[in-house]
Amino acid sequence: MIVNIYTLIMLFVAIFSLSLGGFLFLSTIRTLLSFKTTVPLEDKSKFERKGYLVFLLACVTLSVRMIVWPWFYFMLQSFVSEIPGAMCMFGVTQIFPSTVTFLQIIKPISFFIMGGWLLCYYIDKSTPTAPLARKNLLFLLIVCGVLLADGIGDIYYVIRMKPLMSVSCCATFFDVPMRPSAMIPQAVFGRNFQKILFIVYYVTNILLIALLFTSMSKKWVSVTSLPRKIVLYSQYAIGIINIPVVIYTFIENIAPRLMQLPYHHCIYCFMGNGMVPDAPIMLGLFVIGTFAIGWMGIIRLLCKNGEARLITERLLLKVNNVSVFCFLASIIMITIHLILI
Amino acid sequence: MTKKFWIGLIIILFIALMGVSYQKFLKNPHCAYDGSPVTPIYEIDIVLKEKSTKKFCSIYCASRWFKNNVTLIDHVVVTDEIRGNKIDSYMAYFVESELITNETNDNRIHVFQQRQDAITHAEKFHGTMTDDPFSLDE
Repeated sequence: MIVNIYTLIMLFVAIFSLSLGGFLFLSTIRTLLSFKTTVPLEDKSKFERKGYLVFLLACVTLSVRMIVWPWFYFMLQSFVSEIPGAMCMFGVTQIFPSTVTFLQIIKPISFFIMGGWLLCYYIDKSTPTAPLARKNLLFLLIVCGVLLADGIGDIYYVIRMKPLMSVSCCATFFDVPMRPSAMIPQAVFGRNFQKILFIVYYVTNILLIALLFTSMSKKWVSVTSLPRKIVLYSQYAIGIINIPVVIYTFIENIAPRLMQLPYHHCIYCFMGNGMVPDAPIMLGLFVIGTFAIGWMGIIRLLCKNGEARLITERLLLKVNNVSVFCFLASIIMITIHLILI
Repeated sequence: MTKKFWIGLIIILFIALMGVSYQKFLKNPHCAYDGSPVTPIYEIDIVLKEKSTKKFCSIYCASRWFKNNVTLIDHVVVTDEIRGNKIDSYMAYFVESELITNETNDNRIHVFQQRQDAITHAEKFHGTMTDDPFSLDE
């Protein structure tokens, strides 16, 4: 184990959230098993208190767990100086590569579903009769499963992590002509893929912002069902298409230009080496913007209830605003850098 | 559009401008090929025809950049590993040995101003003399 402030905090948070998560998992199952839609008046207070405790515990655990995702990358960055040959986080990911890959995949998933659950809970809490309590409890079970897997993965990685071997530089992976980030877009767009990818990046992002703006407008309420559905499904579809487009554009175009290293395509150097100090904000805004579209989908899927309709609509508008803001801010930041650098 | 939305965008604009200013005016020199910090004893400077200079952390990075931009280059300045003197690459002696100067890219080419230093290094670290990787063929 490499001992520094990052690993200690990571380990503490992982153990803390794992124990709370385990307790939460059991409590949720117990609450679900004893769940009744109508409760006798004498048991009502006890039932409410118990349910309130479970949800409060869930809110604390999930909020702590969500912060772990960026913290994980701070921790990887802190290992760079410890591992011979590592120049950036990419070098660190070469030690226990399967565990790191697992953690890098599960962390955004866990952030996404935890965020989704917290929003659903917010709607349920704002409604006097808590009509979504059962759905939220079932959703919480899935969230707990992901939380436990994530926590166990963190502990396993932090404890086993040792600077065992010399690793290779990111240039040997990201800067070779046959790199996957170049081969895949080249297969789709042809030889001149970098230019086309850049255009596609701006087109998909602007289109997405325009669609999100549509559902922000006051006229949106009066729009009939079919065009409404078309706009919503287009948001989801473009949101999903936008993910690989942004990732490849970042690796192939944006990172090299912004780092002022035209032959260096390493996304880890871009994010963590401090060459572009605001790079994590650009990426973070894109992630939140994309997740917000998914969160709107979760809310629409799970919070269909006559009683909660008004609160759901209000929250959807807020999440929509957050998404528009994040995409717009990310694209503005990147454009300013590209123009002024 | 709420007031918060616009305030947020103004903050973002400010952060982006700060980021650009940092990159333009405050950043320490980094290798122009892979972005790693440049160690003075292994520094390679490629001087371009338009008189600007690109700094590199090792022969490996400099030679890779060199291959892609031969037409832009005026001359290359390398650093003698023994004394730290800066010399034109055509005057230097290059030795490829088992000793690695930069573990991140496995660079094994060393630069010397004196022939004797190059021979001593080659004997000590099982190396061989190599050609100037920056020769500009007219």
